[in-house]
Order: sequence, then structure tokens, then C-alpha cells
Amino acid sequence: MEVAILLNTKPTEKIYGLTGNINVTTNNDNYRIITEYRFPGTTETFLNSPKSLASLKMVFLDESYLTKKSEDLSESEIKRIMLARALIENKDYIILDYFEKGLNYKEKENFKRLFRKLSQEYHKTILILTNDITFLWDIADEIINVDKNGVINNYSKEEYFNLSNIANKPEITKFINMMRERNIKIADYKNVLDLLKAIYRLKGE
Amino acid sequence: MEKILSINGKTIFDIDTTILIPSNYNYTKDTIELLNQGCTVIYKVSNFNIRDIPQDILNFFDCEYLLSKTTFTKEDEYKIIIISSIFSTKKIIAFMNMFTYVSKEFQNKIIEFLRRQNKRIINYTSETEETLLLPFLIIIYNNEIVIEGETKIVLKEETLIKKLGFNLPFIVELSSGLKYYNVVSKLFFDNESLVEELWK
Repeated sequence: MEVAILLNTKPTEKIYGLTGNINVTTNNDNYRIITEYRFPGTTETFLNSPKSLASLKMVFLDESYLTKKSEDLSESEIKRIMLARALIENKDYIILDYFEKGLNYKEKENFKRLFRKLSQEYHKTILILTNDITFLWDIADEIINVDKNGVINNYSKEEYFNLSNIANKPEITKFINMMRERNIKIADYKNVLDLLKAIYRLKGE
Repeated sequence: MEKILSINGKTIFDIDTTILIPSNYNYTKDTIELLNQGCTVIYKVSNFNIRDIPQDILNFFDCEYLLSKTTFTKEDEYKIIIISSIFSTKKIIAFMNMFTYVSKEFQNKIIEFLRRQNKRIINYTSETEETLLLPFLIIIYNNEIVIEGETKIVLKEETLIKKLGFNLPFIVELSSGLKYYNVVSKLFFDNESLVEELWK
């Protein structure tokens, strides 16, 4: 799928989630796809900029990564360096290809905050391509789903989570649906703590 | 439990095992040691051929549709790599951060298939939800084993797990909170059991 065409009609400076069995491509110079490209040389030569260290820090890597080569890095670290490069290049559109794979929980939370900052303060448009809906749902402004037949559907988050024919839902949504199958009235909670409090109140009644 | 392998200082027992790793873990050394000890190691490779996969295997994994595709998505690639490697004759099959790219349904099919073949599974992953798939769990931090044991017992160590930067699987997190407030008396590891307990 040509992502530049997909995003042409979308408002900028937002975060979009893209799910479905798809490949994204772009021929537009203002877009950068972040993927696990094993670059030649060291990180420092690859980034090739006085802003290298600052951009590495933005992606939560330290100075020691400047001298590392891609063969010594995990896929997750390589993607972070690719993101650092996109920030140096100041691309308006950043496309993250399964970026969160390999990150632990704290790192995912840090990157969610970074993506919000990139969108709101640095005016970037972010497209996150992933099968992990949990990563998307609390930062994406809109979810774009490509079904098995290649049909593109655009959903707000609320619409997406109310779809009955989508298997890819967060665990919390599956649990809430299970409760509703037992005729228990429960709202659509997005985090465990709020759901916990709701169950506590229900059980107390 | 019987020991079956030693990998980079880690003892692996004869039980399906998740090895939970941080994002900067370099598993090259583990891969080499696993291969040297006669295991099948499944990791992201550039070359794969769907035509090499027997039809009955494709049918089992609902992947026949891939035969008619000329270009593959990332998810397709991971599926092909996995199912073209798992009908190995080797007893032990190790996955290097592969499960995270495929759906939960596909993960369960892999496990079902390998258990029917009487294979031993080792799953390296950074995703804590995957720890619920297998009965034994090893957590690694700074290249050392921090804790290991039956998954259901290790996952009780909430404070330690969070200190290492991991979260708990959703159902364990929820039931841990409910246990704290005396709504339930123990941890739960699947949605159905907890819903049944709450509203029996």
C-alpha cells in the first residue's frame, strides 16, 4: 500500500494506527519508514550529523551507541537509530513498522510519550503499523484497518473496539466482552486500574 | 526436572519454557549454543520458500492462501518462516522473538502442533503476555537469570517483575489487584476462569 496516498486525505500532526496484513511503501521524500535496516559502518557514520547525540537521547539511547555497528545491535535498537535519523532529517511523516516489537513495558510507555510529543509539539504525522492493538489504542487518533480482501476501513477508537468481527482486540476488551455475555453491565475501560475499581464496586453491590 | 540443555550459563529443563528478555538482549550467542547442541532455532531470515511446506501443514495453520500470493507482508513472512521450520526432526525447537509478530490464534496453533509432535519448546520473547503460553518461565536481566520457575509461581513476583521494566500479563495484573482488595483469593491466568470465579 502506498502510504502517502493513504495519508493524503488525513489531517496532519496526528497519530494513526494501521492494522491488517499489509506492506507499506512510499515514494515521497517527506516520509520516512522506520524498519530494521542493517546500516553500514557505525551509528555515528550512519547518522552523520552534529545532532546525532541529541537525537539518540530522544530515542532513549546513550553516547555508547555512537561507536556501535548494526551487527552488534538488536532489531529494536536498530529501529531506534533509524528513528533518530528521521528526526535529524526532520521528516514531516514518520512511519513506524512494528516498532514496539522487542520493547519492554517501560520502554513502550516512554515511546508513546515521545510519539505524542512529536505529533503535538514537533508537528509530525505518525503512522504506526502493527498487529499490537494495545500499543495503539491509547495514543492513536484514528485506526485504519485493512481487511483480508484489501479493503481499507477507517475507525475512531470507540468504533474499532465495538466491532464484533475483529479478533485483534486488547485483552481488557475481550474480558469486558466476556462480562457482558453474562449480562453484566460494564463500561468500556481502557486501563486495568479503572476496570478493577469497577469490578470492586459491582461486587460490593 | 531433568536438565536437557545448558545455554550461555542457563540450565534448560525438560519442560516448555519462556525466556523473557529485555529489549537490548543479544541472543546471537544463545542461538549458536542452541544450534551446537542440536536444536532447531527459528529466527528472522531473508530466504524462505513457501513451496517447501507440505500441504497438510499449510492446511493445519490455515495458510493455504499464501500459495497464491506473490508478495508477502511482514506477518506472512513470519508465518512462513515458522511453519517451514517447525517440522524438523530435532526434539527441541527454539523461537527467537518470533511469536510477537503473529496472532494469538496462530501462536496457539504452533504450540498445539509441536506438542502433538512431542517437541520441547523454548520461546525467547520480550512480551509478557506470551509468558502465559508455556508452563515454565525464566526472566533475564543484565544477561543473568533473575528468577525462574513454574510460570504461575514466577508471575506472583509482581514487584520484582515491574522493577525489571516488565509488566504483568493483563489477567494476572487484574486478578492481583482484585486479590489485594479481597475480591478473589488467588491469581488467575485466563479470562474465563476469572469471570467464572467472579460471577459463578
